[in-house]
Amino acid sequence: MTLAPDSFSSRRDTAAFVICLVLALVARVLPVPVQNGLATAVSHSILAPFLYLQEQAEVVKSSRTHYLASAGLRDSTVLEALSAQALAEENAQLRAELGLSRRLPVRHVSAEVLQQAMPTAGLMARLSVGRDRGVHSGAPVITPDGLAGVVQSAGDRYSVAILWTHPDFRVSAMTADGAVFGIAAPRGSAGPNTPLLELRGVAYQQQLPIGTRIYTSGLGGPGGVYPRGIPLGTVVAVAEEREGWSRTYVLLPAVHPASMAHVVVLTGPVGDLSGVFPDSLTGS
Amino acid sequence: MIRIRYRLVAMLLLLVALQFVLRPFLGDSRVAPDLLLLALLVYAIQARPGDAAIAGFVVGLVADSLTPIAFGAGVFAHTCVGYLAAWGKAVFFAESVPVSAAFFFAGTWLRDLLVLVAGRHMGERSLVWQLAVWSPLKALTTALAGVVVLVVFRRWLRYRA
Repeated sequence: MTLAPDSFSSRRDTAAFVICLVLALVARVLPVPVQNGLATAVSHSILAPFLYLQEQAEVVKSSRTHYLASAGLRDSTVLEALSAQALAEENAQLRAELGLSRRLPVRHVSAEVLQQAMPTAGLMARLSVGRDRGVHSGAPVITPDGLAGVVQSAGDRYSVAILWTHPDFRVSAMTADGAVFGIAAPRGSAGPNTPLLELRGVAYQQQLPIGTRIYTSGLGGPGGVYPRGIPLGTVVAVAEEREGWSRTYVLLPAVHPASMAHVVVLTGPVGDLSGVFPDSLTGS
Repeated sequence: MIRIRYRLVAMLLLLVALQFVLRPFLGDSRVAPDLLLLALLVYAIQARPGDAAIAGFVVGLVADSLTPIAFGAGVFAHTCVGYLAAWGKAVFFAESVPVSAAFFFAGTWLRDLLVLVAGRHMGERSLVWQLAVWSPLKALTTALAGVVVLVVFRRWLRYRA
């Protein structure tokens, strides 16, 4: 099969390799806006037909999943007398998945997550919606379970969101009663499939019991980035204590990046989503 | 020779198309085979190191555009993998299925290592889990896909294993 030359590597090969390496290093140190511009240009030119194919494949895949879920629901109604409890749970799950869009009081669009193969794909998501659907940089990305991330750059038809696993991700957070505030940020991984969040800067005299649910605080009001009341995670441990000053808590995140297939992008002004999510804030 | 080159180009384009059309159906994205990288490796074992480095540059640019989290890291990693694959194949390897599978496995894992090191976006623990668990699994599925490609297209590629 080998069509390679008799001499393994000529001066021309070495020169081509070095030039490519230098260009790669130049690309690595370019300013982020220029990098995003290059990525957008490639995505909207030579990659456009391939991304369109992938979008359609994702739609077919999710349609099949929904069909199977619907068929399962239909079948389960026949067996309602035998499996009333299972039916109720399945209904609740389907309502959670399908009903979030109806419950949201702010302008939004649904999007498919176009999965990628790079090892850094768990830090970001390419979404099948862009400026043509009202998506803009800084738009929050949510799922029925909670906050997934924020749009970093929006092209005409596609956008790129950084997920909460990205090291630069930060969000102001609070408890359900609004008594305790802190900053949520990614905290490495406790296992191959267990990425974690942490809640930093909680005042030392305020203790959070294990199992406390943490939500976005909506800091900044209408001019902020994240609406109030989006679930972030649940307290599972105390990470660090700065004696007399503050505590950091470990959170089990509400959204796992690897399980995301569909998301909702909030495109309207920041509002209050308290009461939208199951088990979410009460009385706020 | 010209017919072989046309067939090679057709097969590489097929792999690129399958990356976008078939891969979403192949389960967890962290484990599913990387057909874009596989196309680069298949090309690399037939090309001169310099040409493979240029092909790696192009594939890296595409990968970085799809995942612009550490732009340039993918270009760097794919360029190195393309060059080393073409050079190493010419120096060391005979044509056999196990050696080819190991070649695809090593190429995929090395690409992930270089992307993560050059990108420096992942925390220490996440990096270890990625390189110890997810990257080997993806390298394994990519190697299996590579063997299937070599077997199915052995006449087009004049593969004699």
